[in-house]
Amino acid sequence: MKKVININFQGMVVPIEESSYELLKEYIESLRQYFSKEEGRNEIINDIESRIGELFQERLKKGATCITDDDVNAIIKNIGRPQDFDNEEGTAAEAPGAGTTAEGAQTGYKPNWEFRSRRLYRDENNKILGGVCSGIASYFNIDPVIVRILFIVSGIGLFMYVLLWIFVPGSNALVNGVRRRLYRNPDGKFLGGVCSGIGSYFDINPWLIRFLFLIPFITFIFRWGHVGPLTFPHFISFTFSPGTFLIYIILWLVIPEATTTSEKLEMKGEKVDINSIKNSVVAEMKGVKERVGKMGIEAGNYAKEKGTQIGQEMRYAARSSGSAFGNVIVTIFKIFAYFILGSVALALIVALFSLAVVSIGLFPLKEFILTNGWQSAYAWGTLIFFIGVPVVGVITFIIRRLARIKSTNRTMRYSFIGLWVLGIICFIALLASLANDFRRTSSLDEQKLALTNAQVPFLNVSSIDNNRYHHYNNWLRFEPFAYFDDDTVYIGNVHIRIEKSPSDSFEVGIVKMSNGSDRRDADTLASQINFRSYQTDSTLFIDRAIAININDKFRNQYVELTLYVPVNHRIRVDRNMLYNPIRFNGPWWDDNDRDWYRDNDYNFDFKYGETYLMQQDGLYTLDGIPSGKEDDYRHNWDEEYNDNDIQSSPGTYRYGKPDKIDSLTEAKRRQMQKLQLTLDSLHEEQQKADQRLKDSLSRVKDSLEQKIQKIDQKDHTPTQAYNQAEDRGVGFVMHI
Amino acid sequence: MNIDNTASQMRKGVLEFCILSIIKMGEAYPSDIIDKMKAANLNILEGTLYPLLTRLKNADFLTYRWVESNSGPPRKYFSLTEKGAAFYSELEATWQQLANAVEEITGKKN
Repeated sequence: MKKVININFQGMVVPIEESSYELLKEYIESLRQYFSKEEGRNEIINDIESRIGELFQERLKKGATCITDDDVNAIIKNIGRPQDFDNEEGTAAEAPGAGTTAEGAQTGYKPNWEFRSRRLYRDENNKILGGVCSGIASYFNIDPVIVRILFIVSGIGLFMYVLLWIFVPGSNALVNGVRRRLYRNPDGKFLGGVCSGIGSYFDINPWLIRFLFLIPFITFIFRWGHVGPLTFPHFISFTFSPGTFLIYIILWLVIPEATTTSEKLEMKGEKVDINSIKNSVVAEMKGVKERVGKMGIEAGNYAKEKGTQIGQEMRYAARSSGSAFGNVIVTIFKIFAYFILGSVALALIVALFSLAVVSIGLFPLKEFILTNGWQSAYAWGTLIFFIGVPVVGVITFIIRRLARIKSTNRTMRYSFIGLWVLGIICFIALLASLANDFRRTSSLDEQKLALTNAQVPFLNVSSIDNNRYHHYNNWLRFEPFAYFDDDTVYIGNVHIRIEKSPSDSFEVGIVKMSNGSDRRDADTLASQINFRSYQTDSTLFIDRAIAININDKFRNQYVELTLYVPVNHRIRVDRNMLYNPIRFNGPWWDDNDRDWYRDNDYNFDFKYGETYLMQQDGLYTLDGIPSGKEDDYRHNWDEEYNDNDIQSSPGTYRYGKPDKIDSLTEAKRRQMQKLQLTLDSLHEEQQKADQRLKDSLSRVKDSLEQKIQKIDQKDHTPTQAYNQAEDRGVGFVMHI
Repeated sequence: MNIDNTASQMRKGVLEFCILSIIKMGEAYPSDIIDKMKAANLNILEGTLYPLLTRLKNADFLTYRWVESNSGPPRKYFSLTEKGAAFYSELEATWQQLANAVEEITGKKN
C-alpha cells in the first residue's frame, strides 16, 4: 500500500507514489549539485526534467495509473546518475571540480572519483553573512551548523569571522559533501527524539546522550535539601536542571524531525546512493597515495599557477580599480552594519537574559510580596510567558537562522506571539493588582519608646543580635533583603534620625508605617510591625530590620526612629545599623503624608559609627566639625597636607577649633622635621660611602702604577746589559 | 591504468564529432540523437548528452527551436549554425587525419 500524490512537473500533473517522488527529488538534487559549476546549469536541469516529464507522460499514456519506484529507477538508469557521467564523456567531468583542469590534463587520466586540491573558499551559495562558516564546513565536510555555533560560542569568533570574510575568496560552486545531518529521530524517540537524533549523528548510543541530559536532574535531586531559596549554585554552567531542560526544549524546536525516508537516510549518514559513499571512501584511500606522489609536481605547479594568477589579478585590479574600490567600501559598510546590528541584538539578548535570571532569583521572594491566588498566578504567568517565552524564542530564532531551517509552519510563530501576549497581560495584571495593594499609606503617629535610663550623658544605639542578619549566600545577593528563612524575611527598613531634644533627657520617637489597599489595611499592617528595643547602661539595642512573614506580606513596612538628643549629650549610632531600605515606589504613592519628615529642618545628617555632641546650635563631632560636613573638612585637610603650608590657612576653617588644629599642624611640622633630618643623614652617609669608594679606587690605581713601573724597569735591564756588552765588545775589538 | 578508462577516454574524444554529424543531417531532438547513436552501437547517457548540447549551443555551434509535442512538454529541436558547420568540417578533417594515421600505424589499412 502506497500513498500517491499529484505533482506539477514541467507543467503537467503527474500522479506519483510518495516514495518515488522522494527518489525523483533526490535524483534531481544530485544533478543540480553535479552541475552546480556549469554555466547553463538551469537549462541543463530543465532539459532533463522535461525529458523526464515526457517519459512520465509516455508511461501514463500506456495505461499506468501512477508513476512507481520502478518507473523512476528505469528513467534514472536511462539518463544516468552523476557518477556515471564521469565515465561517459570528457568535458563534463570537469564540471564538479573546475579549476582542476590543469591537473586532469597533466596526468592525461581522469579518475572517476573527484579529487580536487582543497582550498578554503567562502561559500556564496549557502551563506548567512559572508559564507565563511559554510565554506569552512565544506572544507572539512561537516554540517555548517556546527561551525556556526562554534563561531558564535567562541569569544574571538566575530573578529576571526571578519578577517576570514575579507581574506578568503568567495566561490559559488562549493558542494558540501556532508553526508550526515542533524535530525530528530522519530523512530527511537523517548520524548522528542532529540537525544536519539544526536546519538545517530555522532554514532553513539542515544542512552549516553540521555544520561548526559539527566545527570543534572539527578544531582539536583540529591542537592535539593541543601539548596536555599536563593542559592543557584551553577545556573550558568548548566548543572542546574532547568538549564538542560531548556536546552532540550530549544533543541526540540530547532532540530527538524526526520520524516521522509531520505531525511532518515541523511540522519544516519547514508546518502541515498550508496555508490557515492563507496566512491568517496575509495577516493580518500587513493587520494592519500596520489597526493604523496603528486606532492612535488603540485608544489611546482602551484607556485607557477600562483604567480600567473597574481599577475592576472594585478592586471585585473589595475583595469577595474574603480569598481574594486567601490566593492571594498560596500563590503566595509556591510561589515559595519552587521556589526552594529549584531551588537544591538546581543545587548537586547543579554538584557533579556539578565532579566530572566534576576526574576528567577527574586521568585522565591514572591511568597512575601504576593497574596495567594490571582497575584501568584499572574506572577507565574509573567515569569513563564512574559520572560521565558521571548528567551526561548530568541534562542530558537538564532539557532534556526544559523541552521537555515525555513520555518514552514507558522503555528510556532503564532503560538510564541500568543503566549507572549498572554505574558504581557499577566504582567500588567500583576502590576495593577500590586499597585492596588500599595495604594494607601498608613496614618502617621509618633509614639515614644520607653527608655530605662534617659539621663545618661552618652547614648550608643546598636543592633540587637546582629549576626542574625548576616548574608549567608554569596552568589545571588539581594541587598535589601538582609536575611530570610523559610517563612520570614527581614528587610532593613529602619531609618534613624537625630534631632535636638526639647527636654534635658534622651527621648526616642518611633513611627511605624506601611502601605495597603486602604487606610485601615495599611494601619493594621503598620501596627503589626514588631519592633524590639531595650537599653542596657548607655546602649540602646534596637532591631535593625523588620520581620515580614508570609502572612503579613511586604507592603513597604517601614520604621522611622527619631533620637532626641539633649544639649551637651553625646550620641553614637553603630555601623551595624546601616540603613538599607527597600521600597516599592510607584504612581500609587501618595506623597502628602510623608512630607512632614522629609522637609524637617530639625534633623541632622550623621555618620554611622561616629560619636557626636549635641550643642546649642547643632550637632558636632568631637573634633568640632558640624555633622554632615565631615567629608568637607577632611577634604580641606588633605589639600593642606599637600601644600605643606601650615600657617597660611587656619582662618579657612569656619567651624574648626583653632587650638586643636594648631596642635595637629604642629605635630605635622615636627614629623616633617624628623623626616628632613633622616634625609640629611642619609645624604651624608651616601657622600661618605662615595668618598670611601674613591679612596680605595685611587689606592688600587697607585699600586697598579707602581707595578707597571717595576715591569718596565725589568724590561730595560737586559737591553742595558746587552748594550754594555756591545760597548765592551767594540772596545775589545778595538783593542785587537 | 585500467581498460575501461582508456576505452572511455577514446570514446569521449569523438562524442562531440558524432553528435554534430547527426545534427548536420537534419534537425534533431535529443532522444533521436540517442537512438541513432544506439543504433550505431555507441551508447550514451541522456544525462551526458544534455550538458554537451547546452555547451555546444552556448558556444554558438548549435541553435534550437521549440516544437509542440503531443506527448508531454514542448521539445527542443537542435540544428547547426554556420559557425557550427565550420567547426564540424574542421573536426571532420582532424578525424580523417587521425583515422588514417591510426589505421596506418595499426597496420589495418592494407
